[in-house]
Amino acid sequence: MLLSRVAESLYWINRYLERAENISRFVEVSEAMSLDCPPGSAEPWLPLIDASSDRESFDKRFPEKKPDDVINFLIRDRLNPNSIISCIQMARENARQIRDVMTTEMWEQINILYWNMQEGEAIWNKPRQEQLSEIRRECQLFYGITDATLSKDLAWRFSILGRLIERADKTSRILDVKYYLLLPSLNELGGVLDELQWIALLRSAGAYQMFRKAEQNSIKPNSVARFLLLDPIFPRSVRYCLDGISNTLKMIESSPPPENPTELECMRGLLKAKWSYIRIEDIIDDGLHEAIDSLQIDLNKLNDLIQEKYFIN
Amino acid sequence: MKYMFSNYRPKNSFDEYFKDNVNSAREILIPLLSSLDNMGLEELNRNHSAAKKLLLRHGATFRLNDTGLKGTERILPFDPLPRIISKDDWVTLEKGLKQRLEAIDLFLDDIYNSQNIINDGIIPRELIESSDGWRPQMIGFKPPLNKWCQISGLDLIRDRKGDWHVLEDNLRCPSGVAYFLENRLVMKNIFPNLFSGRIVKPIDEYPSYLLKTLQELAVWTDTPKIVLLTPGIFNSAYFEHSYLAQEMGIQLVQGHDLVCNDDYVYLKTTSGLKRVDVIYRRIDDDFLDPLNFRKDSCLGVSGLLDVFKAGHVALANAPGTGIADDKMIYSFVPRMIKYYLNEEIIIKNVETYICHYQKDREYVLENLPKLVVKSVAEAGGYGMLIGPHSTSSEIEEFANKIRKNPRNFIAQPTLELSTVPSLCNGELYPCHVDLRPYILRGRDTWVSPGGLTRVALKKGSLVVNSSQGGGCKDTWVVGK
Repeated sequence: MLLSRVAESLYWINRYLERAENISRFVEVSEAMSLDCPPGSAEPWLPLIDASSDRESFDKRFPEKKPDDVINFLIRDRLNPNSIISCIQMARENARQIRDVMTTEMWEQINILYWNMQEGEAIWNKPRQEQLSEIRRECQLFYGITDATLSKDLAWRFSILGRLIERADKTSRILDVKYYLLLPSLNELGGVLDELQWIALLRSAGAYQMFRKAEQNSIKPNSVARFLLLDPIFPRSVRYCLDGISNTLKMIESSPPPENPTELECMRGLLKAKWSYIRIEDIIDDGLHEAIDSLQIDLNKLNDLIQEKYFIN
Repeated sequence: MKYMFSNYRPKNSFDEYFKDNVNSAREILIPLLSSLDNMGLEELNRNHSAAKKLLLRHGATFRLNDTGLKGTERILPFDPLPRIISKDDWVTLEKGLKQRLEAIDLFLDDIYNSQNIINDGIIPRELIESSDGWRPQMIGFKPPLNKWCQISGLDLIRDRKGDWHVLEDNLRCPSGVAYFLENRLVMKNIFPNLFSGRIVKPIDEYPSYLLKTLQELAVWTDTPKIVLLTPGIFNSAYFEHSYLAQEMGIQLVQGHDLVCNDDYVYLKTTSGLKRVDVIYRRIDDDFLDPLNFRKDSCLGVSGLLDVFKAGHVALANAPGTGIADDKMIYSFVPRMIKYYLNEEIIIKNVETYICHYQKDREYVLENLPKLVVKSVAEAGGYGMLIGPHSTSSEIEEFANKIRKNPRNFIAQPTLELSTVPSLCNGELYPCHVDLRPYILRGRDTWVSPGGLTRVALKKGSLVVNSSQGGGCKDTWVVGK
């Protein structure tokens, strides 16, 4: 038995931390990549803001669009609700609400992470790459602690649900940014710069090594897209996340599905089926951006259906 | 001892470590003082910082306002020098606390039912019915086990001679027990050496007794569903609420997680509504049920009082207990003990003047510079006048308040609370302390060994309340 409010908090704690972790990886990779880029090449920074759909508020506040503005906006800006610091603060607010349900270890981890992110803390004196990898490690530590200390009950399942939905969303956004925004025309596909960016893309999604292991050939756009969207065993691929979401929702709704499935049940099944049985060539022929766009719309809808079914009563 | 305490000068009040100077430590303190001396002031200060970090990591914080920026959330200042109480002293105190609570519970049951104590002329009716804590809604009601105060925390002090007195009865939602437990945890973690060679009475059973006490209230079932009702994360005691819920493994809920339906209370869960049997509520009577108490409250649950009165849910503590911790009713406790138990009071009250009575009022108005005057319904050290520390215009202002609304005030002689050495800016300094032991009453009564020692950490201050810059320290009940 789980309070609706508690389920919602667990779901959001995990979404926020997953978001913070993804942003930190984004920024870290982009910063490293900018050092490799020939002068005058595509600015690697702004797409990061596009990826979280915050371009409008950013442009309004920082018309000069300097790289440092982007980085601060994404990491330390308390006015940006999607900055790392805001995500961690909201995760901790949610955690405070339900700390009796989390294990002490989980609470302490999130609490330490929060205090480390405050003004004047040692982390801000470190080189930026160190800051970012520390933040990421702390977020991942939270998942590890959750998995190692929390009973595998409803509380855990709602945690997983939040984590996976956010992850599917972010992996697809990263791919979208590359495909849709970094490259003005499809003719540039296959250039030298292109390969660097594909590598950066894989790194941003935390997928470079596993991609190399899975694909021994050179880095081709289609194989990267396939890997990030459809790989059945890579834990950050969209398909893997959707499988997990589907299984978790089934476990939460332990009773057998009714003859006339609910809207949530339909959504879950359709999404899983679609992404399990589609081929990458078909996605690309029909338009990768359109496919990702529709995935994100579906994920938002899934979020709303979960909200409606479990969090409001 | 010479080294660490060589600059320490006890004040005029009773010092709990030393008889009159640093060369005559109280016998029971000698082992601790030698451990402290082995440690040295430098290491004590270093470990003190470690202790503060640990409290922050645990989240033992209270929030000052809601901006979410650093500095608005603080730990309660923690002092590492424990306060020590001998087992012999403790046995007497424990007896005295049980006696007091027994009488108070009988009083509450009487006052909301047959009112013998009024009819027999012991306490005037108008004093009862004019109290802020009086809840006429409870008239004719019998709570489960006939007990009203499951959880209380009484404030004790020692006077200039070292004699113990009860300063206040806190019978509504007394707070601080999480710090009481957390302080011991910190001491064991950071200062294990100080414990060596001594047996300090453990306090870890508190959550188990609390859970048992709450379970016993659900006289209608063997498998009660218990929850802790909090006003939410903006309440300054929120840390305590979540701490206790976690320690007991019960759910922490807010008003909007609960709903009253068909004479029962339910929890809103992901699998629908589930019945609740016992609510440990940390919300004041006024805010508990907008239908029956304050209409503007959004913290409580509509209709909760009706479910309670129907006997379908237990509330700890029962609404209405505030009548007994009215600071004026306090002055009648010795008479209650005589009346209900036919016993003499074991832990004395502080002498109290009731401004409602003309004779007392005249004395108080003439002697304000010597007295402490308190508003009967306020807590947290607010609404009081400390005569010796006040200007003549402050005194005149208070005199007017008393004349205007005498029922609202009591006065007591100025007390020099006892002192215990404490760290003030890295040095040892005698700081005033009080003590809040916690008493749990289910089928049996259990008293926490020791309690929360609050300490006035500002040099020279007499105010121990956390809302006014006070801190706390671990309290040890030890055998010889």
